[in-house]
Amino acid sequence: MEKRLLSALVAANSANPEHPWTHTGDVPFGTDAVRTFRLANGLRLLLLVDKQAPTVSYFTWFRVGSRHEKPGKTGLSHLFEHLMFNETEGLPAGTFDKKLEAAGAETNAATWVDWTYYYESLPKDRFGLAVTLESERMGRLVLREPQVTSEKEVVANERRYSVEDNLEGSASELLYKTAFDAHPYHAPTIGWMADIEGFTPEDCKGFYETYYAPNNATIVVVGDVSERDVLTKVAKAYGPIASSELPEEDTMPEPPQTAVKEASLSRPTATEKVLVGYKGPSLGDPEHAVLTVLNEILFGGRASRVYDRLVVRDEIASDLRGWVSTFRDPGLYEIFLTARGQHTRAELLATLDEELETVKHELVTVDELERAKARLELGLLQTLDTAAGKAEQIGFYDTVLGDPRGAFARLEAYLRVTRGDVRTAARRWLPRGARTLIHVIPNGETAADPDEADDAEGAEDTADGAEADGEEVAS
Amino acid sequence: MTPAPKLLDAVGGRPLFVETSRTLPLVSFAIGFETGSYFDPVGKEGLMRFVGRLLRRGTKRLDAKALEATIDRLGAELSVEVSHANVTVHGQVIRRNLEPFVALVAEVLGEPAFDAEELERLRKKVLAERIEARDNDRSLAQNAFRTAMFEGHSYGRKATEASIVAITQPDIAGHFRASILRENVVFGFSGDVDADSARKIAETWLAVLPSSNVKPSFADLRDPEGPKGRTLVIVDKPERTQTQILFGTLGTSGHDEDHIPLLVGTAIFGGTFTSRLMREVRSKRGWSYGASARLNVERVRHGFTMWTFPAAKDAAACAELEIDLLEKLIAKGVTPKEVGFVKSYLTRSHAFEIDTPSKRLHQTLDTYLLGLPVDYPTRYLSEVAATTHTTANAALVKRIDPKNMAIVVVGTAKDIRADLEAKISGLERVSVVPFDAE
Repeated sequence: MEKRLLSALVAANSANPEHPWTHTGDVPFGTDAVRTFRLANGLRLLLLVDKQAPTVSYFTWFRVGSRHEKPGKTGLSHLFEHLMFNETEGLPAGTFDKKLEAAGAETNAATWVDWTYYYESLPKDRFGLAVTLESERMGRLVLREPQVTSEKEVVANERRYSVEDNLEGSASELLYKTAFDAHPYHAPTIGWMADIEGFTPEDCKGFYETYYAPNNATIVVVGDVSERDVLTKVAKAYGPIASSELPEEDTMPEPPQTAVKEASLSRPTATEKVLVGYKGPSLGDPEHAVLTVLNEILFGGRASRVYDRLVVRDEIASDLRGWVSTFRDPGLYEIFLTARGQHTRAELLATLDEELETVKHELVTVDELERAKARLELGLLQTLDTAAGKAEQIGFYDTVLGDPRGAFARLEAYLRVTRGDVRTAARRWLPRGARTLIHVIPNGETAADPDEADDAEGAEDTADGAEADGEEVAS
Repeated sequence: MTPAPKLLDAVGGRPLFVETSRTLPLVSFAIGFETGSYFDPVGKEGLMRFVGRLLRRGTKRLDAKALEATIDRLGAELSVEVSHANVTVHGQVIRRNLEPFVALVAEVLGEPAFDAEELERLRKKVLAERIEARDNDRSLAQNAFRTAMFEGHSYGRKATEASIVAITQPDIAGHFRASILRENVVFGFSGDVDADSARKIAETWLAVLPSSNVKPSFADLRDPEGPKGRTLVIVDKPERTQTQILFGTLGTSGHDEDHIPLLVGTAIFGGTFTSRLMREVRSKRGWSYGASARLNVERVRHGFTMWTFPAAKDAAACAELEIDLLEKLIAKGVTPKEVGFVKSYLTRSHAFEIDTPSKRLHQTLDTYLLGLPVDYPTRYLSEVAATTHTTANAALVKRIDPKNMAIVVVGTAKDIRADLEAKISGLERVSVVPFDAE
């Protein structure tokens, strides 16, 4: 019965209104399958029927992020994400959230370097509301004062919270600013404060008309829905929205880093910290999975090599972590180390370097490799607990890699990694002479001597330079 | 109808909750104990947290690193959560490794090492973590807020450097034997495990737990008195462009008849994105990325709190506005339309509180461990539905007292103090504490 009804909605390759959807294939996802479709205007739909709870998650992924911004206009993708919750031609300001809340929906959005997504998770009988609201703001958003001004204030406050008054946020921002010169990963997704303050409604309108079009979007639906209902409602709501002429990618590749870059931050903190960034592989690079396994061996949990050495045995660090950026273009392998007590960044770096040199020269143990793989497998399974978790995984890998089953493909890749692969990855991706170091230096301020604050304020500087073995060269 | 964990009688008459789901090859469990930091002896504040953390740091057979490595090898996680009125061991494992993980957990519970050397290592780490926590302004605000709200009550008791230094290895071993007992345990399982297997696992774990004729009792736990008068505490930290502001008065306990009506009133005020607070603070003025209110649920009456984080230049005006909004909420009440809207939101969004077996399990166990009625999760929906603007307003008037309110602001005192004192009316006490003080 379902199949016969579907035949009126799906054709092999047709723009016929009677057959609005082109079925572009089924993709295995664990023990299930993601059905994939495309409308004539370019909108893609990825559907996973999942009846484990009477809910549905509806994600809209746009293939635009801060990488598409130009100098002087940083933060526009993120500001725009905020504005998408305001006014449309059919919905007065404030109505969007009101309708979703009345339906008991969870809703939010996220912007990063390569993408922006919006989601609603709803009780299954309110699926149609998500379709109505999302199609409305994709096609008929209103951008004007005073909402733009008010939202700029909100974003400025978000920036204060996540960067200005946040030690790790400001260090991370400085790391990318220092590590990247040509590539737009240089600029923070939230934008520089001066750029945020300068946006006009016209900036926002231009961005909307360029990037918020069905041919730049993918809808991911996971939940207790019928395929026929989804196809009918989505086609009806989005079919009339015109596609746009998307600009060609205009990204400057980052030239290879050949020397150590350094910068420092002075902050009212009790202990020294250091953030290390190695140029890393893109998410689509086969070595990304290998480096992720290596990171797990080095930093994953309290039995990991670097944690055991710096925190447990030597007791010179109080906290540390490592992360391989999951970007479309080559990003960074980030390592953050927090010194304990009076221990110094130099001690941390010297000890870290010893551990990194070891994995370049000696094979990790079989047990370390198996533990890392088990941890990564558990981590993947945990992301699939809810409909929203599945929808996010499907949409993320589809948007960044063009592969909705990317999460499972990565798990398979992890399981194939050998000890030799790990050693090769360490040799390739951890060049001591071509990394970026961000030094966080306590400025000695306490609440008792606040008058001295002016001298130290914003003491940020950047400089390229060679690094000697374990020698402190930062200011 | 949404499934729910089934209550089974485990051995020893202790409750066992199980919900089987084959959706993912994962098994989750929680082993809850009716004890908590409430029972930390005077001068040894932090003791129960040390018990919890040291449990994860070695058995008689496995040292800390070997234990960690074994957990990792199995594709598992194991954590111990210590709160005021309960201790819960949480675990999750890939199904194929369930049996060895069960044995490992039995070893953790039955043969903890409580090694003296490991205690010293942990003590140093905890002291270092306390210093690092000063980098987090929100954490600073919460820490000061507990004291301002609940001074003199067990909710407000906190570990200090002196109390941490005073904790000994015999303290830990003794507190474990007196607190983590067969007589106060409750088991819960969810995921890829059936009821029979869960019962056998619970039996295995029950058998290794200490036993005592005397178990921790909350009989002496009383409602806190709460703030007296309107007080302002500024946690002074240099170079702040922004502030963190917490406001608090007493709320209700989960046992109070007006708890759900107050919860409805709180949601109207600051529990949704379109709430009064968000509309006035964020949408209209752009003063803060967030502004919210919440009602905490504990064994006895806890707090009604508001949180916001405006720029330093807007802090005083924002504080004045939020207090004004709260006073108007109490004086004029909520409207039937607002109540209808929030009831719809709370009842419908409840689906996401219980959309996985693991969430349902933890909700069930939390209910049990807080001593709430067993049917609290299901009664929640019917009581929300039964709330009217009359009952919500009565609860607001009876419970929320803006005159007796603690206000904590983290910011740079020289930039914000004068404005705050000028804008916040009725202040009875103002104090400034350094962010790096104990």
